[in-house]
Amino acid sequence: MQPERWQQISGIFKSALAMEPAERAAYVAAECGADELLRREVEQLIESHHQADKENFVNSPAVADVAPLLVAEDSEAEVPRDSLEKEQQVGHYRIIRKLGAGGMGEVYLAADTRLDRTVALKILPADVASDKNRMQRFKQEAKLASSLNQPNILTIFEFGDTDSLHFIASEYVDGATLREHFRLRQLKLPEIIEISTQVVAALDAAHEAKIVHRDIKPENIMVRRRDLVVKVLDFGLAKLSEKTPTQTSGRFDSEVNTELLVRTTPGTVVGTVNYMSPEQAQGLHVDGRTDLWSTGVVLYEMVAGRMPFAGVTSSHTVVDILEKEPAPLASFGARRVPPELQRIVSKALAKSADERYQTAKDMLIDLRNLKKRLELDVEIERSTSPDSGAQSPTTGKNVIPRTNSKEGVWSTAEPGESKRRHRRKLIAGIAVMLALVAGLIIAASWSRFRRSTGVGPTPASVVASERKLRYWMTVQKYRNGRPFEKPFRLAGEINFEKDYRVRLNVSSPQTGYLYILNEGPSGVEGASSFVVLFPSSTANDGLSYLAENQRVEIPQQSWITFDAEQGTEKLWLVFSANAVPELEAVKQFANRKDRGLINNAGLNTRVQEFLRGHSDAKATLEKDEELKQTSLRIAGPVLVHAIKLEHH
Amino acid sequence: MTSPSSPPHEITQLLAEWSEGNQAALDQLYPLVYNELRRLAHGYLRRERKGHTLQTTALINEAYLRLVDQKDVHWANRSHFFGISAQLMRRILIDHARRYDYAKRGGGAQRISLDEAAVVAKQRGRTLLMLDEALKSLAKIDPRRSQVVELRYFGGLNNEEIAEVLKISENTVTRDWNMARAWLYQELSGSVA
Repeated sequence: MQPERWQQISGIFKSALAMEPAERAAYVAAECGADELLRREVEQLIESHHQADKENFVNSPAVADVAPLLVAEDSEAEVPRDSLEKEQQVGHYRIIRKLGAGGMGEVYLAADTRLDRTVALKILPADVASDKNRMQRFKQEAKLASSLNQPNILTIFEFGDTDSLHFIASEYVDGATLREHFRLRQLKLPEIIEISTQVVAALDAAHEAKIVHRDIKPENIMVRRRDLVVKVLDFGLAKLSEKTPTQTSGRFDSEVNTELLVRTTPGTVVGTVNYMSPEQAQGLHVDGRTDLWSTGVVLYEMVAGRMPFAGVTSSHTVVDILEKEPAPLASFGARRVPPELQRIVSKALAKSADERYQTAKDMLIDLRNLKKRLELDVEIERSTSPDSGAQSPTTGKNVIPRTNSKEGVWSTAEPGESKRRHRRKLIAGIAVMLALVAGLIIAASWSRFRRSTGVGPTPASVVASERKLRYWMTVQKYRNGRPFEKPFRLAGEINFEKDYRVRLNVSSPQTGYLYILNEGPSGVEGASSFVVLFPSSTANDGLSYLAENQRVEIPQQSWITFDAEQGTEKLWLVFSANAVPELEAVKQFANRKDRGLINNAGLNTRVQEFLRGHSDAKATLEKDEELKQTSLRIAGPVLVHAIKLEHH
Repeated sequence: MTSPSSPPHEITQLLAEWSEGNQAALDQLYPLVYNELRRLAHGYLRRERKGHTLQTTALINEAYLRLVDQKDVHWANRSHFFGISAQLMRRILIDHARRYDYAKRGGGAQRISLDEAAVVAKQRGRTLLMLDEALKSLAKIDPRRSQVVELRYFGGLNNEEIAEVLKISENTVTRDWNMARAWLYQELSGSVA
């Protein structure tokens, strides 16, 4: 919508609302005259005004709408009511306040009245505590773990019961669970490695004593506020939540069945499967290597900001755990992931326990070495570069992405849902552009033809040495600020009319990292400005990593329009076997105002250098006239290609 | 009234730094305000359940009062503070809704919630995200009207306060609000259909 139009509409709307309802229709009709469209728009707006009033639309502040949401997130740790009250006496403990509730009962801060100290009291649910045999085994294991005196294992003081309560008194850790610790901020690599090291050190001691935790997850790891010392909680507790196999069944050792405890309190968790190892998810025999898997999941989550296995339902998650290779860590965010860290995570997350780290000690050694190396790197960077933070070395030694070989979805259907159309209208409405008839020439000026070698299935080793990508462009006409007619694929040169939008679509039969940048017409000094079109937070979850045959279209905000500036614009396609640090760093600008202009001179220069540096190697270009798409192919791990758009 | 978890002057200082363009201040500010907000939300819902509907604007004002050291000279300009706080609130709430939305789509922790309230909350979260998008679009054609919505809806300010922040008359605020809200309603009902 043009600003003048908007002003016109809002002027009439404003005046109409100031009138008596009976007079409005006549006034609007008179004001709009022959402009039928204008009249309809104003009337619709007035109607919306009444509807909004009736429904109390956005009348109360957003906080009120979000309050249930804020609370729902916390409800995971909440039970409907506290069973103990302040000052209540439990044995020789006096309740101070509630600390929280885990999967296995509420936890209170309490004062030990005999020994002048504060403790954490965990109250076990009656049904759980009533099983004498099981309690016995759990106590044994928990006491044993605690007695190891390992600084990263929570110390248990006492198992106690009163008439109706069974409780565990333990050391009180003033801090947050690891979940809370990383929920709100991205942890830095050294901290992540430090935390993981401490967890694995706890496991190492426990495993030596033949104790398996079975339930390592961020909720069971505490980070002490004052010194960031990590404490692993609830050793042995997982045993309490295991269901006894059917009494008649002799097939399973009761130790190894790991069905989930199902709690039915509204709003509480029914089960968390995300950290389970493949063998655990299948109810097979579990040993220390299961804990290493779970630690791998936690480590992955801290680095990537998301869990490696998370399906729509628990069953989907389990399938992922059994079959899916998680996306490489380097595909998340702008963080630089040392190949060694990826190796450690991959080794911890090997599907077969036999291919995993065999002992916690092995993993501990790798983590400690990595920590040392990182410290060394920091040292070196500090001594060589004054602004080390912004620089990222291009080692080219990143890990090659691995994915499962499941077939990707390939669809050529144009997305024409009404939702999109509606938003398109919106985008069209806001774009302040001069009407312009532009000639568009797609000229892949730097391509030269190469003979492609070999057909048929590509051996794995070739994948990294060759890159393939295809692209096509779709044009959507607009009229009166609305999409007009169906979008069509662009074959070659066309005459552009006012309000045409061009959309770029990309897909590849390979996995890899994709970046799309728009280089505007060069300034006088020859410095170009770059706009990030992909990745962006509205496409592909903000990730540059593409699965095989995944189709990418640049998000709507970035559809290409033509403004008054004539000249040549370039659309840069970069498709690489490894994440490209310079380009990962531009993500932060994606989808901001100005369609993601890289608003940092240093970075802009590095991006420019990267693109110029790679544009010597030309991709082979093949046009499919029928499908109106272009296939690119290049030898080597990085494909860089510029599509030129000229308007004149 | 219990004291907020962080000393007010810390938050005030950070807000001031942020408004002066220090982006790092936002990183520190964010969790502090977020936690305070969560705490308030609990209280709000508790009161709501008991049937005492809290004046919703009071909630956000309560947050301000708790978070800001009233004596701080940086905030001699009250309207400046309101403006910047509304922006922060918007950011926090949208981020939160987005995370929730993401979790809903399977990205977050696997949990099966039996609480219907959570389902409702998710829908509200989704609407909030769409509203935020629409508001960004509005900002491009009509920045002032979009600011009115930001201050009122995200910042919880009343018309009088908004008039003070934007240096316009209260009548104009009302008219801007009507127009912007009708337009947003139309946009959102269009996208839902």
